[in-house]
Amino acid sequence: MSQQTIDFTLNGVPTRVSVPVQMSALEMIRNVAGLTGTKYGCGEGECGACTILLDGVSLNSCLLFAVECDGRAVTTIEGLAADPVGLRIEKAFVDAGAVQCGFCTPGMVMQAKQLLEQNPHPSREEIQRGIEGNLCRCTGYVKIVDAIEAASKE
Amino acid sequence: MPEAIQKDTLIGKRITKLDAPEKAGGKTRYIQDLDVQGQLYGKILRSSRVHAKIKSIDTSAAKALSGVHAVITAADVPYQRPIGVAKDHFPLKTDRVRSLRDEIAAVAAESEAIAEAALKLIRVEYEDLPVLADPNESLKPGAPLIHPEPHGATAKHDHLKQAQGIAYAGKPDNIAMVFDYAQGDVAAGERESDVVFEDTFHLHYVTHCCMGVSGIIAEFDSSGNLLMYSNTQVPFLHKREFAEILAMDPARIRIIQPPIGGGFGSKLDIYPFEPITVFLARATGRPVKLIFTREEEFLASPTRQPVILTLRSGCKKDGTLTFRTVSTLHDNGAYTSWGATTPFVMMQTISSLYRVPHCLYHTKAVYTNNPYAGSFRGYGNLQATFAVEQHMDMMAEAIGMDPLAFRLKNAQDPGEVTPQGMHFKSCGLKECLTTAAEASGFLAKAGANRANRDKPGRFKHGIGIASMLHVGGGAKIYPSDGCGTILKMDDFGSVTLITGASEIGQGSETVLAQLVCEELGLPLSAVRVINNDTEITPWDVGVHASRTTFIAGNSAIGAAKKARGKILAAAGKMADLNPDELDLRGGHIVEAKSGKVVMTLAKLLRQLHFSDKAELVMTSFYYEPPSKHQDKHFKGDVSAAYAWATQVVEVEVDTDTGIVRLLKVTGAHDVGRVLNRLGIEGQIEGGIVMGQGYALTEELLVENGVVRNPGFRDYKLVTAPEIPEMDVRFIETMDGEGPQGAKGVGEAPAICIAAATANAIENATGVRIMALPFTPEKVYRALKAKGQHH
Amino acid sequence: MTALDNYIAPTSLEQAVEQLQELGEVTILAGGTDLMPQANAGRVKFKRTLMNIRRIPELRGIVREDGEIRIGALTTIAEIMAHPLVSEHLPLLVSTGDHFASGQIRNAATLGGNICNASPAGDTLVPLMVLGASVELASKPDDKLFRRSMPLPEFFVGPGKTRLAPAELLTAVRIPIPPKGFVARFHKFGTRPALDISAISIGVAGVLKDGKLSQVRVAFGAVAPTPVCGCATEEALEGKKLDAATIDAAAQAAQDEVHPISDVRASAWYRKEMIHNMTRRILEDVAANH
Repeated sequence: MSQQTIDFTLNGVPTRVSVPVQMSALEMIRNVAGLTGTKYGCGEGECGACTILLDGVSLNSCLLFAVECDGRAVTTIEGLAADPVGLRIEKAFVDAGAVQCGFCTPGMVMQAKQLLEQNPHPSREEIQRGIEGNLCRCTGYVKIVDAIEAASKE
Repeated sequence: MPEAIQKDTLIGKRITKLDAPEKAGGKTRYIQDLDVQGQLYGKILRSSRVHAKIKSIDTSAAKALSGVHAVITAADVPYQRPIGVAKDHFPLKTDRVRSLRDEIAAVAAESEAIAEAALKLIRVEYEDLPVLADPNESLKPGAPLIHPEPHGATAKHDHLKQAQGIAYAGKPDNIAMVFDYAQGDVAAGERESDVVFEDTFHLHYVTHCCMGVSGIIAEFDSSGNLLMYSNTQVPFLHKREFAEILAMDPARIRIIQPPIGGGFGSKLDIYPFEPITVFLARATGRPVKLIFTREEEFLASPTRQPVILTLRSGCKKDGTLTFRTVSTLHDNGAYTSWGATTPFVMMQTISSLYRVPHCLYHTKAVYTNNPYAGSFRGYGNLQATFAVEQHMDMMAEAIGMDPLAFRLKNAQDPGEVTPQGMHFKSCGLKECLTTAAEASGFLAKAGANRANRDKPGRFKHGIGIASMLHVGGGAKIYPSDGCGTILKMDDFGSVTLITGASEIGQGSETVLAQLVCEELGLPLSAVRVINNDTEITPWDVGVHASRTTFIAGNSAIGAAKKARGKILAAAGKMADLNPDELDLRGGHIVEAKSGKVVMTLAKLLRQLHFSDKAELVMTSFYYEPPSKHQDKHFKGDVSAAYAWATQVVEVEVDTDTGIVRLLKVTGAHDVGRVLNRLGIEGQIEGGIVMGQGYALTEELLVENGVVRNPGFRDYKLVTAPEIPEMDVRFIETMDGEGPQGAKGVGEAPAICIAAATANAIENATGVRIMALPFTPEKVYRALKAKGQHH
Repeated sequence: MTALDNYIAPTSLEQAVEQLQELGEVTILAGGTDLMPQANAGRVKFKRTLMNIRRIPELRGIVREDGEIRIGALTTIAEIMAHPLVSEHLPLLVSTGDHFASGQIRNAATLGGNICNASPAGDTLVPLMVLGASVELASKPDDKLFRRSMPLPEFFVGPGKTRLAPAELLTAVRIPIPPKGFVARFHKFGTRPALDISAISIGVAGVLKDGKLSQVRVAFGAVAPTPVCGCATEEALEGKKLDAATIDAAAQAAQDEVHPISDVRASAWYRKEMIHNMTRRILEDVAANH
């Protein structure tokens, strides 16, 4: 099995890891870098639980080859602890009651961060479209949309 | 220290969840995120045949693979005992496989990749057997038997004894369970009827789709004690069950429940992967972690019970219901899990959602080679309500009565004791009906839609109504339906609440903390909840039947009241005041009338602790609800309270495509009392969308025992852009037994969406569809058949 | 175990096609959104070498060249949707992108990848066909870079199968800038805005002048092993006044000329019905709005 050494920044920290070529960024983040906030939900890009930012752009990390992170900036939910917009979104999720089992929440927060960066004042409909790639089984999405809307108004 | 503190309450406020900040920041460690020092990774080899004899299994190549610690088959665990509700299968299958999910062998290896590679090296030789994919086929004389050989085990579930002919393998037919219930005389009821309908309804396979896939970690310590990190919803029952399966002392089993990525009833039974992981830990002497893939989750976790339901109902011209006869056929799948027992709930809706004098109910659960059904939020009630509430509309129309008036005429009132023995001490059904109908403009819209439906135009609008009854005060199906609480206070006025009730994301720990704060006059920040370790927490029957707020809530209140009594008595003594005139507010002891502060709670606790008597405030309470077991005729007041709801659904039907869009849901829910407004809204909104998925988008496609869509690409959960507008109203009937008047609400909101949607589609198009889900193709076909396609 | 034992990430087109020629057994990685799940499910077997082509600048970007818009194969769906040349000249691709998977996938999936996957339900294929797109292919069989191009419909052979030669790379898509009076519609059948594999899709384009359609192109997705041209439907429309009778005839022609299969997403019967009804609705919309 071919291993590849890659250098990238993980939440701002220069990082070097050696990974099998076919490993996903999700596996690398969880099992090699040890950050478990990014979740495995389906492995097919259908649920959004593994959403991360690569050079500021949101992606399903389960579909991303880890080797493609070489030379780039990876941001995970843990990285939002140092980001004012990220923290505002997380607080809005708590305050709006947007968290139930919480398994989809990190991915939702990451996608919300992307959405608000591209469109700081989205309509409710735009928020719903913005998170169409993130599945939630608990909340019925209403309070997640409330949370993102509230975060956009602060 | 403030001079005076006035009474305040947390009840009915919008309280944020205690566990939400950790979850939103990605810091919560679910079972998938836990690692135990020295752990190996488990994987299971499942059958590649639907129904076959196992001729041979060759594991030698897998065992030889570098990094593989153990490869086991049934032959390696001769001590294994049968599992499941009817004890009709072994964790590792012995001589035959009966469905595609069946477990044949398991591997423990140093990585998931090695374990997977090892699975591919195991050779299994099968001899195919005929496949039974339709329960009707299973019933035919001469049908092949799915469980021909006795396992030598009998079901130990006391509460199932009423079920006649309960499945024990080795029976001469494929019938897993039979339920019969009767009240009154349906023949007499039919003679009084002016209108009679009989129809057959088809309810499909759906599955829970918890966002966190299933998993477990099992490890033995050097004394042979077993520790499992498990997602179970019923840790205390499982201690006993695991002990039986593993032939070990239950006292040596400890279950820790990490935060769970969704439950919805899916974790009420023991599934083969759990004991298999324990077998692997035993075989290797190492901790073993086993996590499903999403595909495995679709193939090998339970489903909602699929049902073929024939309903015959009647009423008089004046709108009085006369009788109902129900016959259902449950596709049991290859093994018996909780799905087979959903008649417990289904018959309640049939007999008691509305007043019906005469009822006859018969169910057969029949073995097939399909996936098997477990418990799922609503537990049979979605299926029963789908049929009953469509017939309500049909009968109303036949006698020329509006659907609302017809329901109101037959609706239950508070105080009613139904022929099935349920006592509705609080009942807000009539208020639910009128509130939902008025808030949605139901009657006016229904009339307008009806007038519009035969006019040209591609898009048709419809509105439909349905109501539901569900247990709201626990369900006494086990010898005890109770929950224990231990409450301890520290020297600084903080509370540790140790409860048997598990949090599965629904917000129970927050509402329990809230109830304790209410008794002890504390802010929420003063309470920590411990709820996930059988070694620490007191017994609870489990998270099911919408019972946690009601049962665990009353238990927490009981413990808190004892602490309060002790604190006030001590305070009265210290301050030389009458304890009855004291109160606890904002972390202080105050005079109840004036609010005048007497001392801080922390100070009192320290004085108690460090006095000559050296006392701590530690209390415990066990709450058992005043409900009854059903007798052998399924009669009895099985819950301490009952929850009610009416939902009105508005749809748009595209007659060109058959696509049905849910535009709006107006719900009125008798919840007893709102405790945490934020939490209860979240439960109802989530339930509505789960009901929407059941009605419109979700279907596990099973063809000849093969699941055709084991992934989110073709098993369609509702996504954010599809959700309807929601208007949720709360009917507060202040149940006398409920904690602060509250009743259970967890399952209720999912129950009537499909029924109301069916009625809405009929209102829009004149076409009534009695099979779920309402996929575009099914609706289009029905429209086309009735010439309603424009 | 996988035979994959080599990883390369060339930084120029020349280098990439040279290595392709030399190594032979190569799996190409572009956006990865399809390759990763397909490989995990065992539907795609990795060859010996994984070539990541994302570091090749020549494969990116959108430019106007000789009356055509050239879209580099590595351009993501999100980049296409946001590009001013696309919104000005090819608005159909913006609305197509809006129905493509999800935000996260639009950020990763590339146009070239969607084409090379050659799924009969691939979201961009039908719109590209009715826009008259051609693909640009490059290889280096000897010392010289060899380029060829091919009209898109010819590129597809079967599900997952194309005319791409083993040592060849798809470098770009070229789309003629539509003439005045050009109208185009794409309908992806589904119950939700995106994140859906279409049960059928329909593309219709042509030049509308004085109520008549000419230079008509019709294509259908998910009704055959590849996206297909709707030749009979085109004929029913070409040069005709777009009135109710023409629309009826075209919808009927569409229904008659497709031969879909039944699968988990829809039955053949329903697919044919939807081809009919949606073709009609598209044409009615064109007639009403121009």
